[in-house]
Amino acid sequence: MTIAVSTQLICFLALSATLLIGALGVVLLPNIVYAAFLLGGVFLSMAGLYLLLNASFVAAAQVLIYVGAVNVLILFAIMLVNKREPLRDMPGLLLRRLLSAAVCAGLLALLLRVALTMPWPTPGPASIGEGAVVRIAEHFFSDYLLPFELASVLLLMAMIGAIVLARRDVMNVDVVTGEPADQGLLEKARTPLLLSKDNPRP
Amino acid sequence: MNEIPLQAYLCLAALLFCIGVWGLINSRNAVRVLMSIELMLNAVNLNLMAFSSYLDGAEVRGQVFTVFVITVAAAEAAVGLAILLSLYRNRNTVDMEQFNLLRW
Amino acid sequence: MEVIVSGLDLNAAAVLPEGAVLLALLGCLLVDLAGEKVAARWVPTMACSGLLLSLALLIGQWNSTPEPSFLGAFIADNLAVALRAVVSLSTLLSLLISWRYVERSGTPVGEYSAILLAASLGAMLLCGATDLVSIFIALETLSVSSYLLAGYMKRDARSSEASLKFLLVGSAAAAVFLYGASLLYGITAGDTSLAAVAGALAGAETPVAALALIFLLAAVGFKIAAVPFHQWTPDVYEGSPTPVVAFLSVGSKTAGFALALRLLVGCFGSFDVQWKLLFTVLAILSMTLGNVVALAQTSMKRMLAYSSIAQAGFVMIGLVCADAVGFSAMVLYLAAYLFMNLGAFACIILFSLRTGSDRISDYAGLYQKDPLITLGLSLCLLSLGGIPPMLGFFGKIYLFYAGWASGEYLLVVVGLITSVISIYYYISVIKMMVVKEPREASEVVQNYPEIRWNITGLPALRGALVFCVAITAIGGILSNPLFRLADQTVQGTPILQQLVASSHSLLTTG
Repeated sequence: MTIAVSTQLICFLALSATLLIGALGVVLLPNIVYAAFLLGGVFLSMAGLYLLLNASFVAAAQVLIYVGAVNVLILFAIMLVNKREPLRDMPGLLLRRLLSAAVCAGLLALLLRVALTMPWPTPGPASIGEGAVVRIAEHFFSDYLLPFELASVLLLMAMIGAIVLARRDVMNVDVVTGEPADQGLLEKARTPLLLSKDNPRP
Repeated sequence: MNEIPLQAYLCLAALLFCIGVWGLINSRNAVRVLMSIELMLNAVNLNLMAFSSYLDGAEVRGQVFTVFVITVAAAEAAVGLAILLSLYRNRNTVDMEQFNLLRW
Repeated sequence: MEVIVSGLDLNAAAVLPEGAVLLALLGCLLVDLAGEKVAARWVPTMACSGLLLSLALLIGQWNSTPEPSFLGAFIADNLAVALRAVVSLSTLLSLLISWRYVERSGTPVGEYSAILLAASLGAMLLCGATDLVSIFIALETLSVSSYLLAGYMKRDARSSEASLKFLLVGSAAAAVFLYGASLLYGITAGDTSLAAVAGALAGAETPVAALALIFLLAAVGFKIAAVPFHQWTPDVYEGSPTPVVAFLSVGSKTAGFALALRLLVGCFGSFDVQWKLLFTVLAILSMTLGNVVALAQTSMKRMLAYSSIAQAGFVMIGLVCADAVGFSAMVLYLAAYLFMNLGAFACIILFSLRTGSDRISDYAGLYQKDPLITLGLSLCLLSLGGIPPMLGFFGKIYLFYAGWASGEYLLVVVGLITSVISIYYYISVIKMMVVKEPREASEVVQNYPEIRWNITGLPALRGALVFCVAITAIGGILSNPLFRLADQTVQGTPILQQLVASSHSLLTTG
């Protein structure tokens, strides 16, 4: 076993360990802020795995977008909605968790069986290494041009929609008739809601 | 060149996906549900990248696919958090169990 | 690299209709900058003209020789043209019926139209996408826009809640879809076009293909709201703005069926026994549960949500047949469903604009005060129930005929029984509106406001309502051209033709 191979193996094992521990932390830790930071760790070790797979461009994109944008966004959201709320106890919560764990274990067994028994046609063509950046760009402007252009519409709409939904200022009139409006559904709820006046906010 | 078998990456992705699914079902905080979905998407990305490196080294279509998935994941996270924020203003909670104005 | 560039024949004319929609979308955003008053007047007009232009361009593509465009990412065969026309028309009609609704609720109409157009753009591209990456991006454009539309009434907790539930379930479905797509990418050893996937699957191991099939089906089932992937439907339909529900129940569902056809016929053709079995189960569950639970609903929107689940079950009968008659029955029923369902939604929206209610009991005695809504809603509901001589009757009878001819007796029998159940709850709404004595009328109807049509947006709503109801009522009698169009759809679609031809050769040799 050469040094290169053993380094690769050690890197893979260390990265997978941080990945799995981080992922378990994300779903299990009671404190949501810790979970968000661990999610950043998961994203970073994922970028490391991409480097092991000869994909430096995607690794950089992973760090920039996932760690730099998505994770920061999630942290912002946690700060904006950070009310310490004691979660009300649910009957049968533990049973539900165990049952779903069993279901997930079943799914895992299925996925592992498929991954291990399928004769994947390895080895494929030799990797082009750093030439991948050029190849990715060629794909974007040839056979993946349509999704590439559509993705720009998707991002534009996500941006506009997120701003419309999250901004606070609201106009409270019907611009055509000048009647007051409340930006709610026209079909008003008749059944008493949880937060109605007789049942004030907890 | 590559001594780690393809199956190792696939198994890792499968584990990550199942952790994400478990988190999706069991999280009571809506932000954590969004994080679980990100875990699932990352598992998919790992699958794609592994296939791209081992089976498709010359054309790297999997890397292109991954870039698209990353893009969409970012858009989805932004929209999800905007919706969560507007819901938080109306309801003052992020507990999934209390989102029951509508019957499931 | 020069080789790639010189060999580039995009055949981009195939997406000209989408280009018209995109142009209208950008126009809406620009006009919206001029302020709310200008936007309220001009944006819907502009969006509608864009959609009309795209419909005209789609008519121009009808029966042209389908050639792959964007190097195999898209194909404008007759199936794509027909279903894109259904999507585009459903967007146009839901925009017309939402104009007044959006302004009455005090939300900005410019962004609303833009997001609705983006949803339509995604749905239209989904109808013709032939590559896993294109399918994924089109699906997500449709989904993300739908989440935004569902939560558009942001001061209403129900709308936000519906939107969040929709987003969480939808993103999970998208992740599952992607896992299946990544397995397919592995099976083909590095290709994402559906044709390559079909080739690789023809000789693939069963377990991995079955897993990929189930994973992709989860996303399809989510889009067409088939039981057991339907849990989001009633909540989202109840909490979303009603015009959005109209779009989701027709446009989004049509795109879902297009996706189902592309994936199952074009890609999993060699696993037809498996997916036919799966869809038989889904269809039986959808028809039964949708129609039975609809009986118990008190909210009009919720009742239509369950009825739309059931209607998707009927359409799946055509999918399971997987022959020329089945596919053309499917297309015909989707087109018929467009008119009858949007007609019903136009009436419901008009009622809630005037009264602010969507409870079924509030419709009692309506015929005294508002004959237009009563007549329109009655005709559309009768058509949805499949009463002759409405359009829905011919659509449904064609589906059942196709099912019977290809030996799906169980499906047809379940379909007939559940149709009878559905007629019961549709008729009970009509009975509520028509039969009640004036003194038995609901409080809402007794205080019914004076009917006015002179507010911006209401004439558009009336036009859409009358158009849908007229097609529903007389389309049945003059349905011959529709049948012919549906048949041509199947004839002009290579992937469907291949399947039909292969099953014929199987029949003759076996």
